[in-house]
Amino acid sequence: MKKMNRILGFVLVAVLLLGVISPVAAQDDKPVVGVVLKSLANEFFKTLQEGAEAWAKEDGRYTLDIKGMNSETDIDTQLSIMDTFISQGVDMIILAPADSSALVPSVVKAQAAGIPVVNFDVRLDAEQLKANGLEDFLFVGPDNEEGAYLAGMALAEKIGEGGKVFIIEGNPGADNAIARKAGFDKAVAEGKLELLESSTAHWETEEANALVANLLTKYPEVQGIMCANDSMVLGAQKAVEAAGRDDIQIVGFDNIAAVQDLIKQGKALATVDQFGADMVKMAIEVGQKIIDGEIEPLGWEKTPVKLITIEDLE
Amino acid sequence: MKSKRSINFILQEGGIGLILIFIVIIFALTAPRFATLLNFTNIMQQISINTAISVGMTFVILLGGIDLSVGSVLALATILAGKVLITENMSIPAAVVLSALAGIGVGMLCGLFNGFVSVRWKIPPFIVTLGMMNIARGAALQISNSRTIFGFPTSFNKFGTVNLFNVLPSIFLIALALVIIGHFILKYTVFGRMIYAIGNNEEAVRLSGHNTAIYKIAAFAFCGFTVGVAAIMYMLRLNIASPILGTGFDMNAIAATVIGGTSMSGGKGSMVGTFLGACIIGVLNNGLLLIGLGDNARQIVTGFIIIFAVVIDTYRVKFANRTE
Repeated sequence: MKKMNRILGFVLVAVLLLGVISPVAAQDDKPVVGVVLKSLANEFFKTLQEGAEAWAKEDGRYTLDIKGMNSETDIDTQLSIMDTFISQGVDMIILAPADSSALVPSVVKAQAAGIPVVNFDVRLDAEQLKANGLEDFLFVGPDNEEGAYLAGMALAEKIGEGGKVFIIEGNPGADNAIARKAGFDKAVAEGKLELLESSTAHWETEEANALVANLLTKYPEVQGIMCANDSMVLGAQKAVEAAGRDDIQIVGFDNIAAVQDLIKQGKALATVDQFGADMVKMAIEVGQKIIDGEIEPLGWEKTPVKLITIEDLE
Repeated sequence: MKSKRSINFILQEGGIGLILIFIVIIFALTAPRFATLLNFTNIMQQISINTAISVGMTFVILLGGIDLSVGSVLALATILAGKVLITENMSIPAAVVLSALAGIGVGMLCGLFNGFVSVRWKIPPFIVTLGMMNIARGAALQISNSRTIFGFPTSFNKFGTVNLFNVLPSIFLIALALVIIGHFILKYTVFGRMIYAIGNNEEAVRLSGHNTAIYKIAAFAFCGFTVGVAAIMYMLRLNIASPILGTGFDMNAIAATVIGGTSMSGGKGSMVGTFLGACIIGVLNNGLLLIGLGDNARQIVTGFIIIFAVVIDTYRVKFANRTE
């Protein structure tokens, strides 16, 4: 029985190893691009992954090896994915870092191994880069602040000067949460809105629902709600509806299908699309230019952000 | 005799009830708009899901076990129930019934699995349910392709926002029904008494000729059942099903159970206590915001109050032992 177990164990390990090795063995001589994503549980990254795969198939120049994890904050998994790509000797790495500082040493390691790295979605931390001997590093990604500003201004125009609003923030400390909050703040200042409260619901639907319900009790006079992502719009909208209010405007960020549906029904005002699938494509093209020596890997290649309102969905 | 009983009551469920009343009075005096019917309706709405999960969690913790998979199983149950609910070419009542059966069924199956594996191979529930946490989450993401499911029938969505007498939310009544069922099982059935007995001294129960395995598995299955019901409540409240929901639900349910006086080592605790524990968490969440504390301060104060409630509880236990 014990022997049996041991044999079973060996078989299991062998199967697992095969699982790791086989994608490499199956590749032909097309250049391999390792794509490191954040959470594949996040609808945004799922869309991004599918878009990127569809593009790679159509384009035909590259073999994409897309890896991610099931949690936004799983930094360790990302570090080991980076190590795997480096030891596999992929031709290029496209990285959406889960943490803008912690991934920098990995990037340096890859570069030292001669693998060009393109940073996309979330920008690597400038000071950490400097500490690791990189003055500047090319970033391909959306301007989250600009996107949030567009959504905030759409709200400001709708409710007018002096309008009273809440901001529902993302995870405290997350780079895109900070940038989106900055964009909303800018819209509040420029649209001369009155900010009643800014609080986090950790990107979560249920938490946003409870938070907005409680805030509605505290400030019944509110006229608009800015949510840092669309999952929180779903919760906020239900809280508004449960309170029997139809005079409160809500804007979000991410352009997920469920919020498009709300916009079409007139239950949400606007959201922001940051074209995830195009982002990977742009990052790879920029990476190719670096390999070909056409551009220096410096600066910020901005990817588009677009305000989505009912006109875009009809 | 009578006074001894009332002292015992205060020392058992009553103690945590007094803490709840104390907190409510403090908020009523300090937080504007806290003591309004509308706000109490809100709080009831917000504690319903946690209450439902905590009912099942209490069974498992009374055995000396734990269930870390409740959040993930909840997500999986919403996905399956959500898929059924938006099936085309089905009458709405049929879809709602099948959807509820699917959600509750998958919850119970996951619970059965947890219970069976931990009993059959004597694996700590901590490990088995940690495994289930990953299995259910992965399955939810796979089946839904990581997408939020929406577009439920209007009548289904409406039911979620209905309040009985304009005060009691529909999902709160469901949660309350679960509390009453749980209380009844624990107090008045063989199954319930066995759970306390096993939590106190499993060996003794086994040696006296009882099959402990069946009761342990049943407790996990019951926990899965309440999670399945909670999944339907989530869909009623938020009108979506999502593979990423439910993170932190496990800790909230454990907190409600323990604040309510159930001992983590099993054998001691009550359903009424758990319900009061869930109320305390909900009232804190709401009241601390209304008195104007920021995000970080709220988190710190909530942490302190949870510890404080349990510290108070150790004195209660000491005192109760002395009066026995």
